[in-house]
Amino acid sequence: MVRTALDYKGKLKPTWCPGCGDFGVLTALFNAFARLDLDPNNIAIVSGIGCSSRLPGFASTYGVHSLHGRALPIGQGVKLANPEVEVVVVGGDGDAFAIGGGHFPHAARRNIDLTYIVMNNRIYGLTKGQVAPTSDVNFRTVSSPYGNFEEPINPVAFAISVGATFAARGFSGKVDQLTDLIVAAITHRGFAFLEVISPCVTFNKVHTYKYFQEKVTPLPAEYQPDDRTKAIEMAQVMQDVIYTGIFYRQEKLTYHDWISKIMEGVRPVTPKELVLSQK
Amino acid sequence: MVLGAAAAGVRAMTSSSSPGISLMQEGISYMVGCQLPAVIVNFMRGGPGLGGIGPAQSDYLQATKGGGHGDYNLVVLAPSTIQELVDLMKEAFDIADRYRNPVMVLADGIIAQMMEAVEFKYEVDPAALPPKPWAVGGAKGRPKNVIKSLDLVPENLEKYNWMLQEKFKRARANEVRYEEYMMEEAEIVLVCFGTVARVAKKSIEEARKQGVKAGLIRPITLWPFPEEPFLKAIPKSKKFLVLEMNAGQMIEDVKLQVCHARPIEFKGKPGGTVFTPSEILELILSLEESK
Ligand SMILES: Cc1ncc(C[n+]2csc(CCOP(=O)(O)OP(=O)(O)O)c2C)c(N)n1
Ligand code: SF4
Repeated sequence: MVRTALDYKGKLKPTWCPGCGDFGVLTALFNAFARLDLDPNNIAIVSGIGCSSRLPGFASTYGVHSLHGRALPIGQGVKLANPEVEVVVVGGDGDAFAIGGGHFPHAARRNIDLTYIVMNNRIYGLTKGQVAPTSDVNFRTVSSPYGNFEEPINPVAFAISVGATFAARGFSGKVDQLTDLIVAAITHRGFAFLEVISPCVTFNKVHTYKYFQEKVTPLPAEYQPDDRTKAIEMAQVMQDVIYTGIFYRQEKLTYHDWISKIMEGVRPVTPKELVLSQK
Repeated sequence: MVLGAAAAGVRAMTSSSSPGISLMQEGISYMVGCQLPAVIVNFMRGGPGLGGIGPAQSDYLQATKGGGHGDYNLVVLAPSTIQELVDLMKEAFDIADRYRNPVMVLADGIIAQMMEAVEFKYEVDPAALPPKPWAVGGAKGRPKNVIKSLDLVPENLEKYNWMLQEKFKRARANEVRYEEYMMEEAEIVLVCFGTVARVAKKSIEEARKQGVKAGLIRPITLWPFPEEPFLKAIPKSKKFLVLEMNAGQMIEDVKLQVCHARPIEFKGKPGGTVFTPSEILELILSLEESK
């Protein structure tokens, strides 16, 4: 059976503002699921809290709309409980790098086989426009009235530096490329991180579609995503050009590979054997 | 950050709305253990979980019975208007310093989102604040201060905990605050805090106009919970009516005061909706009929 993007569409119409970048991510995600012909009954989309974290509600797949900043541990819990399920964790940049920042390095280091899509609008959307850990220096918001003075986190560079075995960047204004990137992330064995530049049209009046359309450029054709240092360097280019594409990819044992290796040759212990002898 | 700033000897505070406060419980428990004063403001919304963003009073038990681990209490202040919130903020800091313990200001989301003219009736002179010789920040010429809550010797920890309990006992004796409204000869006694109390006053005025002897006890400190107004009210009272924007939390403390002396009725709103004056009036009138 060949599925189409419509098979993944939920009954609920997205509640995002008209023009929100997250629509592009939703479309690309459904396209990617269809291209991989994944069974909607075998997908779990796990999110935290934020506008972007509403995404699981708009899909026909299984989903968990969870705690702010805890999408990754909860997604890992789903994967641990049922490794057969295709786990896609989604959320905002605040969810991922502010409140949830502590979880990211460990999920990446663990190389657990899931896909993490962060919709980066460089602002808190749901709570009406506060400064985010991805906001530029001098960026003015309701919570940074004199301009932000904290260095922004570069999600792709951060992911690579903490051990992600797949790190890519897409743009919600380029749905075809984004679909390819999501397909690559889902098919990657291990922790796959995808940053999507996804403008908040309501609260971020600086980082608009126009701003990104002028800068977003695919990585050069000859670029090879196998060098961590080079990948971090390319990910940090932010001035006139912002690269999209796969920055880094590495084949490595996944969390479940390690567990299988450890379990090899181990004789399963029955519950009866675990009970201490009464003698 | 609040723990760090308080440890360095300055007045520090933070504020959030329910889920964020749940996250802070570990830190609050550590601050009590470290004897650090600070003010934590919670504008409650409906829970559990993400719940909604409508106003609620669902964190009463968390605030008054200790949401974190260990034997401890916080003085919990519950304003019912913005003016009172402004007034209580100063008291909150003073109480925190007095006991070297965090203080919680517990209000519902309405108070956070409403606008009202207020008067700042006080000025704080930083130079006149009580000294904090226990704070960290340069030990030149004196033994060093170390802020900690760890004590691995059970006997010592027990002694330390009894010392903390002494502070809570003093707070119980000295910090109780409450308001009595139209309590003269009151037969139907409403017990409400925060915004609910403010709405209830309107209904009580109307009930009195109609000849129904209704009155209100409004705890301002939810911990320590007031006892006196209940002792005073019980003899004349016929019935108690507890109204809360939750499924019934403060009612447990009211029961401890009223015991089985009088029937206690309860009506709650646990999802983010608010009582209207006419709704409360109707409740009072129905109690009047059945009394
Ligand atoms: C523990 C906790 N703290 C704070 C909040 C309030 N809150 C909800 S969403 C959000 C940030 C949203 O920004 P982001 O994660 O970037 O997502 P976006 O809305 O921009 O898609 C915050 C601070 C919360 N729900 N829970
Ligand atoms: S507030 Fe911003 S991020 Fe949220 S739905 Fe609207 S445009 Fe999207």
